[in-house]
Amino acid sequence: MYAIFTENLTKKYGDKVVLKKVNLKIEQGEFYVLMGPNGSGKTTLASIIASVKLPTTGKVEIFGVEPEKAKKEIGYVPQENFSSPILTGKENLLYFAGLLGYSKSEAEKIVGKLLKKVGLLEDANKRVSNYSGGMRKRLEVATILFPYLKLLILDEPTTGLDPSARRKFLGMIQELRDEKTTILLITHIGADAELASRVGLIDEGEIIAEDDPENLKKASGLENVINIETPIKNEKVATVLGAFSERRKVLETEEGYRIFTKDVEEATPKIVRSLDAIGCKATKIETVAPSLEDVFFKLTEKMVSEVG
Amino acid sequence: MGQIIVTWSKTIKEFLRQRTVLFWTIGWPILWVLIGSFSFTGDAPAEIVSHTRGAIAISMMVFALMTAGMANLPGNIAQDRERGLLTKLMSMPISPWRDFCGRILALLVFSSLSAVSVVAVGYVCGARFFFTMNQFGYALGFILLIFIASAGIGMLIGTFIKHVHGAIMTGVGLTVVSAAISGVMTPYAYLPLVLQHFAKIYPISSANSMITYLLVGKDYAGYNPLSTSQITLTIIISLSVFAVGLITYSKFCWRKE
Repeated sequence: MYAIFTENLTKKYGDKVVLKKVNLKIEQGEFYVLMGPNGSGKTTLASIIASVKLPTTGKVEIFGVEPEKAKKEIGYVPQENFSSPILTGKENLLYFAGLLGYSKSEAEKIVGKLLKKVGLLEDANKRVSNYSGGMRKRLEVATILFPYLKLLILDEPTTGLDPSARRKFLGMIQELRDEKTTILLITHIGADAELASRVGLIDEGEIIAEDDPENLKKASGLENVINIETPIKNEKVATVLGAFSERRKVLETEEGYRIFTKDVEEATPKIVRSLDAIGCKATKIETVAPSLEDVFFKLTEKMVSEVG
Repeated sequence: MGQIIVTWSKTIKEFLRQRTVLFWTIGWPILWVLIGSFSFTGDAPAEIVSHTRGAIAISMMVFALMTAGMANLPGNIAQDRERGLLTKLMSMPISPWRDFCGRILALLVFSSLSAVSVVAVGYVCGARFFFTMNQFGYALGFILLIFIASAGIGMLIGTFIKHVHGAIMTGVGLTVVSAAISGVMTPYAYLPLVLQHFAKIYPISSANSMITYLLVGKDYAGYNPLSTSQITLTIIISLSVFAVGLITYSKFCWRKE
């Protein structure tokens, strides 16, 4: 029996098709990451699995039953910050414990343990409005760590977190993974997906590739990725770099661009000269291992996340 | 802990910890009790002054109940929806009806607190009420009708207006305008004929007149609102508004798309 099973799952809003016959099979105990850009349908898919939305057509089963009947086993963290900023961290968790039917004394005990688990015990009595983004997200994740929840669905949990908060957060997810809980994590950040046992790449409502992170990278045929940091980013620079990349694909990054080439040694000095010729001196050129974002870009020619 | 109790506890804390909610529901009506008590009745005979202050205190108590139901409740619902709490709750094995009961119970406690505060300040300012225990019992019943009608309107606003500020502003606007044109904030006798008809149909102003009639005297109500037909009409409309609000809230706020 699969933890999550979907067959020809389709979701339409009027004429707009958000999910196109999605077939997803996630084993119990798997840590599955669904990665795709904004508007690719990943949040819609997660909310159907979490029993918040209904599919237009197709089948969904959670542990062999329809999502509505599996609610007791599902813990869902939506994309938005749903905790009440006016209440303290502890009060927020006591509220959820009460909703799940715990008595007051049981709730006090378990909430204490959960706060410790997510590293918020010392800040338990502070109002959530005084929490940082990372602390608030950890508190919200604590709402799905009550015992007996077997499937955890986290929608974009690391969005907006600074690198240190993201690392802490992912460490916590890693611990959950080790406890053999089934986890479905939705993200548009490639680094988040590296921890997964399997990654599904979703684009325009379809899962376009699915495998473990290493196999996805191997299957993409990406061997040599050159990361180029440039002081300026514009169409001219991208066009120049495109001449050195396979099928002229150039991925824009925070600091510059990434290109995909077969011969790094031959291409590197040429890249430097070509950039110099247009008055754009590269500040750094290095060969890097391909990331899942590179794989997504190679498959779709789209960036999985917006570049700031 | 039951779902109703934890929802009640969360909602009442949210009401009591927001300064803007406290100000508009308790502070603002109290301010008007103070202004009304000392500005508009200065030179009148003592008996009339205490009665007028009593009528003002009742009007402002009704205004507080209206604000709580028609602005705070929809604000609370819209806030929970906007920040994704309703989405989270929909994924949990819980009942929308119990969520509703918890919210209404919190609103009832908060409304009672605001009503008592406003009347107490009115009393300190010289408002006096004259009633038998029977009349007091009836007045409590009519206060409950105001609460029910306001909560019904509040649920409708909270269901259809998605954004927090939009929901609160709509509620405040509706409270102020409807109180002004229905005789809650303006003496019934000074209203034009068409608004006098409206004041009798609008359950909140009708109940306001009933309470004023019972606790202060018939001269301050402007008409006799305690006819069987008027009471029946007020009860029916209040319950209907509440039922429509409740059904709308349960059906649309918790609807799976």
